[in-house]
Amino acid sequence: MEPLIGMGVLALIGVAATIAGASEDLESDVGSQSNPNSQVQLAPQMMFPHRIYNKAVSGEPPSNALMCSVGAAVATVLISEFTLSPLFALVIGSLVAACVHGTFAVTSVLGRSASQKRFKQPIYLDMIRSHTPVIMGYSFITTFCILIVSYMMTVVLGHPFPLTMLAFIWGITVGAIGSSTGDVHYGAEREFQQFEFGSGLNASNSGNIVRYGESGIRNGYDNSWFCAKFGGPVTGIAFGMTVFLGSWVTTIFDPAKGLTQGWFSVIAGVAIVLILIIWNWKIEVEARKAFGPYKEDKTEEASA
Amino acid sequence: MIDALMANIIWMAFIVIGGVLISWSVHFVPVGGAPAAMAQATGIGTGTVQLAAGAGLTGLVSAGFMMNVTKDLPLILASGAVGAMIMIAVTMIVGTWVYVYGVGCVPSSAKVKVDPITKYRQDLYVSQGTEGHGLPTVSFVSGVIGGCLGGIGGALIYYSLIEVGITAGLSVGASTSVTGNELVGIAAMFAIGIFFVNAVIPSYNIGGTIEGFHDPKWKKWPKAVISSFIATIFCAIVAVIAISQLGGI
Amino acid sequence: MSAGGAGGGAKGGYPQQTIMAIGAVGGLAGIYLGHFMPPAFSFFGGLGAICAIVWGADAVRRVASYGLGTGVPSIGMIALGMGIVAALFGLSVGGIAGPIVSFIAAAVIGAIIGVLANKVIGMGIPIMEQAMVEIAGAGTLAIIGLSVVIAGEFTYGPVIENVVANGYIALIFIIGGMGILHPFNANLGPDEKQDRTLMLAVEKAAIAVVIAGFASSLHEGLMAAGLNIFIGLIIWAFAFMKYYGLVKRDAHAVVGTGLLPSAEELQ
Repeated sequence: MEPLIGMGVLALIGVAATIAGASEDLESDVGSQSNPNSQVQLAPQMMFPHRIYNKAVSGEPPSNALMCSVGAAVATVLISEFTLSPLFALVIGSLVAACVHGTFAVTSVLGRSASQKRFKQPIYLDMIRSHTPVIMGYSFITTFCILIVSYMMTVVLGHPFPLTMLAFIWGITVGAIGSSTGDVHYGAEREFQQFEFGSGLNASNSGNIVRYGESGIRNGYDNSWFCAKFGGPVTGIAFGMTVFLGSWVTTIFDPAKGLTQGWFSVIAGVAIVLILIIWNWKIEVEARKAFGPYKEDKTEEASA
Repeated sequence: MIDALMANIIWMAFIVIGGVLISWSVHFVPVGGAPAAMAQATGIGTGTVQLAAGAGLTGLVSAGFMMNVTKDLPLILASGAVGAMIMIAVTMIVGTWVYVYGVGCVPSSAKVKVDPITKYRQDLYVSQGTEGHGLPTVSFVSGVIGGCLGGIGGALIYYSLIEVGITAGLSVGASTSVTGNELVGIAAMFAIGIFFVNAVIPSYNIGGTIEGFHDPKWKKWPKAVISSFIATIFCAIVAVIAISQLGGI
Repeated sequence: MSAGGAGGGAKGGYPQQTIMAIGAVGGLAGIYLGHFMPPAFSFFGGLGAICAIVWGADAVRRVASYGLGTGVPSIGMIALGMGIVAALFGLSVGGIAGPIVSFIAAAVIGAIIGVLANKVIGMGIPIMEQAMVEIAGAGTLAIIGLSVVIAGEFTYGPVIENVVANGYIALIFIIGGMGILHPFNANLGPDEKQDRTLMLAVEKAAIAVVIAGFASSLHEGLMAAGLNIFIGLIIWAFAFMKYYGLVKRDAHAVVGTGLLPSAEELQ
C-alpha cells in the first residue's frame, strides 16, 4: 500500500478511536457503570437513597464487546446479504446495538433497585425514561466508531481477523481502558465532591455519595457534564493512542518489507513504552513535590 | 485422533506455555479492582480479568497482523508483546493523569514502605482511610512486564493453533472481505477462549486485586500457574483435535 | 456480595434439579430438533439456547452468592471460554452425537477447573466443582444452540463455514456469556428473587435468539430468519413484561417521579 494512504487511514482510525473512547466513558458516567457503581449500589444501604441510574451491565469490557459485536454482525449481514453500502450498514448495525444495550441498561437499573427493597430505594420511572435514550445515544457513537476502526483495519489495512471478531476485541479493549481511566474521575472525584479535594476516598465515607446537585437532585446528566471536562476526553486520548501507536509502529516500519523493518517496529514500540515509564515517574516526582506527604514522618522526629 | 495429537505435540507444548505465561502475567498487572476506582487502593481501577484480556487481546490483534506478512516466530511474539505493552502503558499513564490532576492524590503504595525501584518513601503519601492510590513507578513497571508476558502468551497460542491448521492442510489466505477465513476464525476464537480461562484462574488466586510484583500476594503465583498448566493441557488437546478435524472437511 | 439467595432453591424458588433438567434436556432437545427439522425450524436451536442460558444463570446465581473475590462477570467469561473450546471439539469429533460429546467435554473441563479452584487455589467455595460443571455445560449448549440458529444444523463443516469463519462465534461468545452472567449481576442485592433473575435470563436469551436469527439470513434465507426473529421478539416481549411485573412486585416503590425519601421515611 502507498505509505501516504496508510498514514491517512491510520489518522482516520485514530480519530474514530478517540471519539469512541470519549463517548464510551461518558456513556458509563451518565448511567453509572462498572466499578464506581459499587458506591451507588452501596449508598441506599448507608441510608442515602439517590436518583442516580444504577446501570450494572457487567463490567464495561463485556458490555462494550457485546455492543460492538452485535453491531458488526448486523452490519456484515447487511453488507453480504442485502448488499447495502458499508456506511449505511455500519450505521444500522450501531443502531441495533444501541437498542440491545438499552434493554441491558433498563433491566439492570430495574433489577438492582428492586433488590434493594429493604433499604427503601424507590424506582423513579422518569429518571429511567430520561437517561436511557442518552445512554443509547452514547453507545451508538461508541459502536459506530469502533466499527469504523474495525472495518478500516479489515478491509483497508488487510487484517486477517473477521470484522465481528475484531470489533469484539476492540470492544473489550475500549471497555478496559474506559473503566481504568475515565471512570476514576467519576468514582474518586465526582461521586465524592463533598469531601476535601486531594485524597483518595476514606473508607469510612463509603456510600456517602453526592446526591444533591447544583440545583435540585443530582442525576447522571450532572455526572456526565462534569466528566466531559476531563475524564471523558482523556479516555478518548488513551484509546486513540492505543489504537494509533499500535498500528503506527508497523506503518512506519513495514514488516512486509523484511525482517529488519519488522524488528525496527518492535524497537520503536519498546521505545514508546520506555518513554511512558519515564513520563509516569516524572509525574510521580512532581506530584510528591507539589502535594507533599499526608503524614509527618514519626521516625525522623524521634531521631531528632 | 491420537495421530493428530502426536503430530502436533510441539504445538501443544507451545499452547500450554502460552497459557502458563498468560496466567503468570496476570500477577504482574497492578489492578486495584473497585476500590481503586475510588482512589482507595493502589493500581488500575478495573477488574483483573478485563484489563488482562484488554491488553492480551490487543497483543493478539498486533500478532495477527504481523502473521499476515511474516512467518518469523520471534518477531510475531515480539509484536504481540509490543501491542499489549503499548495498550497497558498508555492506560496506566492516562490513569496517572487522572489520579494526579483529576483527583489530586500522589501515587503511592500501602503494601511496601519504600518503592523498590525508586526508593521513595510510600507510607507518608497514603491518604487517610485508604490503602494507597495511583500507580507508583514499581507498579507501572510491573504492569508493563505483565502486558509483555500476556502478549507473548496470546500470540504463542494463536501462532501454534495456526500452525496446527497448516499441518492439517489448511491455508491462511489473506482476505480483504468481511466473510473471513476458516482457520483464522477458529484459531483466534480458541486463543480468546483459552485466554479468558487463563485470565480468570489467576484472578481468583489473587482475590481480584494486586499491586504488582512487590505485593506479598504475588508470591502465590505458583498455585495459579500450576492450575493453568493443568487446565491448558486439556484445552490444548481439545483445540488441537478440533482444528485437525478441519482438514478432513 | 454474600447477599442473594445462597444455596439455590432455599428461598422457596424452583429447586435446582428442576432447572438442571430443563437446561440439559431442553437444551439438547432444542438443538437436535433444530438440526433435524428443515432450516425454517432452526428456531428450535434458539429455544434450546434459552433453556441452557436459564440454567447457566441459575448456576451463576448459586455460586456467585458465595462471593468470588472479583466481579460476577469473571465467571461468565470463564464459562464461555471453556464452552467455546468444548463445543467446537464435540462437534468436530462427535458427528451426530456432537452436542452430547461437547457437553461431556465441557463437564470434564469444568470439573477440572472447579477442583483446581478449590484444591490448588483454595477458594473454599463448597459448590465450586458442581457449579463449574453446570456453567461450562450450560455455556456449551448455549453456544451450540445459537450456532444451530445461524447455521441451521450442527454438523462441523457448516458451523465452521457459517459461524466461525465470519467471526459470528465472537458474537455468540459474548451474547451467550452476557445472558448467563447478566441476570444475577443485574439483580444483585439483598432482596434478589430467583424467579425475577431467571425471567431476566429468558429475556436476555430471547435477545440472543433475535440477533442470531438476523445473522441466520445469510445462510438460511429471509423466511427462516424472519421466523427466528419473530419468535425471539415474541419471547422477548413476553419475558420483558413479565420481568417488569416482577420488579413492580419486589420493589419498594415504583414511582413516576418524586423527591428522595426523607429521613423519617427511612426509619
